Amino acid sequence: MNAPDANSGGAPKQQLDLSIGCVPFRLQMADAQLFRAASSRYAAFREAAVQPIHITLNEFSKSENRPAEFGYEFEGAALHASSRETRFDGVRNEYALDSLLRVLLSWKLAGRHGFLLHAATVVRGGKAYVFTGRSGAGKSTVASLSPAGTVLTDEISLLRFANGEWRAYGTPFWGEFRAMGSNTSAPVRGLFRLVQAAENRVTPLRTIEMLRALLPNVLFFSAESEANRRLLDILGQAVDSISGYALAFRKDAVFWEVLPE
Amino acid sequence: MNTASVLWQKNPALAWREIDNATVIISPNDSVMHELNDTGSFLWKNIDGYKSAADLAALLAENYEVAPDIALADIQSLLEEMSSRKLIAPVQAAVGESR
Repeated sequence: MNAPDANSGGAPKQQLDLSIGCVPFRLQMADAQLFRAASSRYAAFREAAVQPIHITLNEFSKSENRPAEFGYEFEGAALHASSRETRFDGVRNEYALDSLLRVLLSWKLAGRHGFLLHAATVVRGGKAYVFTGRSGAGKSTVASLSPAGTVLTDEISLLRFANGEWRAYGTPFWGEFRAMGSNTSAPVRGLFRLVQAAENRVTPLRTIEMLRALLPNVLFFSAESEANRRLLDILGQAVDSISGYALAFRKDAVFWEVLPE
Repeated sequence: MNTASVLWQKNPALAWREIDNATVIISPNDSVMHELNDTGSFLWKNIDGYKSAADLAALLAENYEVAPDIALADIQSLLEEMSSRKLIAPVQAAVGESR
């Protein structure tokens, strides 16, 4: 449902329903230009939402004094989440909206057995291959060397445990490759830490090595102890169940030949 | 201060988990990951706010067949390292307070 909504005053609010990694959101905003930009940016992720997380944009609610369960500020834009409402204030453009949406999603996923990871994900043979690493490690290169339609994301992957398996989901948060992200998911075949090298080679990682590879690349913005304990539990379960590898990567398409089927 | 008699407690703000016989600790304020080896993990498990370096050294000596004086020196060195990383603090001082 994306129809204009009645408003108590000013411009009519419009709502945009999204689903990212099966986490439903309903964004409500009065700014028509921002609505158009967001509708285009998240086109592949628009989906009728059941019991969505309601987010009001730039409404500066009357309840500003309510304590936030979680808050975050980024370049003048602010996220305020409490048990009763979620607000994004000071959102001037789609980029600020995108940033706050990533932050909110990372926080919500900790309660839904999932996390966001700086990683490109490519589906091959029905399985998700997740390639993680810092900027410049080769995530966008992996995406650009993969067949069209197989890239779930070139920048930020969403991993979530559901129905007895870890699945990787596409996200609308793109990187240099500017892959729009695919609103689909696949069971995770393996997680690969990218290392630039002169030859393509794959080496299994022990669980502790995999956690070392994961942690610096996990997107998480809460400094609250309990939230971090939940995150560490989720990551611990992920490294226990997902096969991890170091992928020495020459930045050519031949690297697929050394990956496990 | 007689450091051997000071009681030690974990920093309650931290998140931790045992993986591969190591203890992984995350400090939420700075997102830094700390790893403790076998001895460090043994020490971490036994730091409960009621034990001093001497108590912990006695446990280490008992479980790892280490001479008591060597165990105490090792434990004091580890406690100092953990304290400098703000993983633990003396019971009488608030965790995070500069010492």
